[in-house]
Amino acid sequence: MSHAFYLDLDRCTGCFACAVACMDQNDLEVSRPEPTAWRQVFAIEATTGSEVRIRYVSLACMHCEDAPCLMACPSGAIARDAATRAVTVNADLCIGCHSCSIACPFGVPRFGKDGRMQKCDLCSARLEAGLEPACVRACPTRALKQGDPNLLTLEAEKKAAARLVAGT
Amino acid sequence: MDKLQRMIKGKIPGEATGIEVRKSICTICDPQTQCGLDCYVKDGRIIKVEGSRENPHSEGTLCAKGAAQRQWVYHEDRLRTPLRRVGPRGSGEFVPISWSEALDTVVENLNRLKAESGPESVIFYCGYPKQMRPFVQRLAFLFGSPNYCTESSTCFTAMAMAWRLVYGQMAGPDLAHTKLLLVWTGNPLWSGTPNARRLMDAKERGVKFVVVDPRKSPIAGLADLHLQLRPGTDGALALAMANVIIKEGLYDRGFVAEWTRGFDEYRIYVAGFSPERAEEITGVPVELIRQAAVMYATAKPAAMMPSSTPLVHHTNGVQNQRAAAMLVGLTGNFDVPGGNVPQALAWLEVPGGGFPARDHAFKMPRQWSEMPPRVGAERFPVWTEMIDQGQAMDLVRHITTGDPYPLRGFVGFGLNYRMFPGSPRFLEALDKLDFICLVDLFATDTTKYADIVLPACSSVERSEVRAYPQKHIIATEPVIAPLGQSRSDTDIIFGLAQKLGLPYQDYDGVSSNGGTPPPELGGFLPDGSPEFSAAFEAAMDWILEPSGMTMAELKKHPAGMPVPNPIPVSYRKYEKNGFPTPSGKMEFVSSITEKYTDREGIDGLPVYREPRLSPVSTPETAARYPLVLGTGTRLPMFIHSRMFRVPWTRSLRREAMVDLNPADAAKYGVVQGDLVELSTPEGSIRVRANVTHLAAPGVAHMYHDYPEADVNSLLSPDYLDPISGFPGFKASLCAVRKVSEAAPDFDLPQEVAR
Repeated sequence: MSHAFYLDLDRCTGCFACAVACMDQNDLEVSRPEPTAWRQVFAIEATTGSEVRIRYVSLACMHCEDAPCLMACPSGAIARDAATRAVTVNADLCIGCHSCSIACPFGVPRFGKDGRMQKCDLCSARLEAGLEPACVRACPTRALKQGDPNLLTLEAEKKAAARLVAGT
Repeated sequence: MDKLQRMIKGKIPGEATGIEVRKSICTICDPQTQCGLDCYVKDGRIIKVEGSRENPHSEGTLCAKGAAQRQWVYHEDRLRTPLRRVGPRGSGEFVPISWSEALDTVVENLNRLKAESGPESVIFYCGYPKQMRPFVQRLAFLFGSPNYCTESSTCFTAMAMAWRLVYGQMAGPDLAHTKLLLVWTGNPLWSGTPNARRLMDAKERGVKFVVVDPRKSPIAGLADLHLQLRPGTDGALALAMANVIIKEGLYDRGFVAEWTRGFDEYRIYVAGFSPERAEEITGVPVELIRQAAVMYATAKPAAMMPSSTPLVHHTNGVQNQRAAAMLVGLTGNFDVPGGNVPQALAWLEVPGGGFPARDHAFKMPRQWSEMPPRVGAERFPVWTEMIDQGQAMDLVRHITTGDPYPLRGFVGFGLNYRMFPGSPRFLEALDKLDFICLVDLFATDTTKYADIVLPACSSVERSEVRAYPQKHIIATEPVIAPLGQSRSDTDIIFGLAQKLGLPYQDYDGVSSNGGTPPPELGGFLPDGSPEFSAAFEAAMDWILEPSGMTMAELKKHPAGMPVPNPIPVSYRKYEKNGFPTPSGKMEFVSSITEKYTDREGIDGLPVYREPRLSPVSTPETAARYPLVLGTGTRLPMFIHSRMFRVPWTRSLRREAMVDLNPADAAKYGVVQGDLVELSTPEGSIRVRANVTHLAAPGVAHMYHDYPEADVNSLLSPDYLDPISGFPGFKASLCAVRKVSEAAPDFDLPQEVAR
């Protein structure tokens, strides 16, 4: 089974549906002032010359193949799920040292009230039951996808091909 | 963790986990969205929600608000019993009482007011959602009061009025077949997410997007052309586009000659709106105006997407919307495939729902002529002629002056006082009333003013019928039992009607002809709570009768079903029937508005006027309040006041913020997150600055309804469009200044504070 998220940046509108669907699926406690949600949505305002473009990006754990967090974790709390190949955390083993935060290139690890790391597990139980991750299901524009990385990029490639033809 | 534990934690439905998926709909927001909802239920409690795949409108998706359903439904602020006020109004001091005592108190007071001051002295009002509206209107009319008002006094109706003034009907965009979409304000990517996917698909198909919006909103991000106009100047822009289209001969001469009224006057009027003049007014460069006009007129077909509020939340809103809507007919895009196509409204005003129903007869058991004039009748004659409701924006004046008759009682479902401009003035007026009963899901700042509060339940705790534009219909069943002693709105309405002794369930009006009406369904449970589910189903059966659908059949399809034998989509219907306007034609000069031209701000032509407060119309005020203020522009995680209390949605924007352009922020020495004072001649509030290019230079946008920073308190209750009565929420004037965090709560004179 595959283990990738894919975000079609052209279709992400910053609507936060994915972020809340994740909270609901995982019973997340978000009342503390700092951001503890596993999926975050950002508005990026990019200026090129006099042109300003606002773009939106939804991000959660990338479930890297060569996961830096997994290698950095001194207590073996981070592991790879055998079935879905998601990078998962066993809170019982986490010692709250934040090594994973330092290692993660995407700023993904979050720490709950108990001080232990928590993050997206790719809705592994849902994947095994043939369901898509909660965030993917909610996405109103279908910007967020999950599946085999090669199939996801093939879809993107198809769109690029269509654009090439449209330009001629 | 073993496999079962893992499945339970992952909320996987099935026998092993004891989790069942039950079908409902989300009614947290109501602007014709209402996504299908799959509720994951375990031990009688919802543990998760997601979108229903079977719903052809939302197709399995949800928005941020709908996804937070569970925290909303189970929120600690939910009302669980009827309440009687014991402290002063506004204090929030209540005691729980029984349903019997509550309903009897309401009925006693309504009958007393009726006897003392006539039935018209009682106001009946609906906020969200829309499901109970026809039921409340029927209650009001049978009671004898014409004063049925809704939150549509500030939403949607003015837009529909404008289209009806031009075409006799509303006509939505045929997105599936168009080549160009002219989005005239509004951002459905946040506010109407079932359409978000379709808009993205259209973009990928190569449909051109022309977006008129003061904001750099997500949908403006899709635009091939973005016309970023000064708020409230839409009319001038539309007239200039017409100017270009006519001058360059790009209009549909055949259609205009045969099917329109007043074209010559219109042509002469728009000749005064050169793109150069429009650039001065709107700030949109001449070249962009020309380009947009030519693109729209030549795309063939091109569709225009109107919006429920941003274009009509202006003191000149209806005229601006009329000017924009006229471009459709002018360019031959009315009622053609890929243009704007009128479709009959189904139950609860869903366009293109595809079936006939008797909702009009249901909600209007009396005619207007049989009752005294309703709220707003004198002040808003165009509204009163066109819309089957009172105009609630006249409530403050009417209650305060008692002119033309006293208003003394209020029965409100989902009333939120902060949707009224000059909101504190609305509360003051409310407080003058003799008796107030409010029905709500939550204890709110508005329910604090009620004498009796009745607890309603949410959509997942009740049954209701909803239609969708894809010609799909659903009759839901409760997914969970109502929380505490809460009941559905319709239970409460039927219960009140029965206790008032009204012939509510006599749909064929048998009793008024001396006949014997059918026996009444429903009644009161041992605890006194109203239980009228059978009456609700019988009412729906009566309403749906012309469609051939029955509740029994609908209930066999828990996720909904296609409307049987739907009314097919057809085009150029006017060729057969004419236009449903007084002249039978598309009206450039309105036969309705031209009757009222003795009133300030009403004309037959779509005359452009400046917003009543603007840098142009009130330069002296603008010298002190230099920014244009827009209130209520949607955020994706909130809908009016409904989602502030929900931790999941609130976490996405924790504090009340005003959107300021970086240039303005720099001018006022403000950086992201700074505390600022936002003030108008009516007052001031303190909020955080959100520095963003979403806002154009010179414009501040502030979301409404925050209890701690109520921006609508900064407007006058009389800042209204004379045609629709809609408030000018989207264009007034304000000033922003940075406030020191250490500043005391009380206001120091400005020079000291600095």
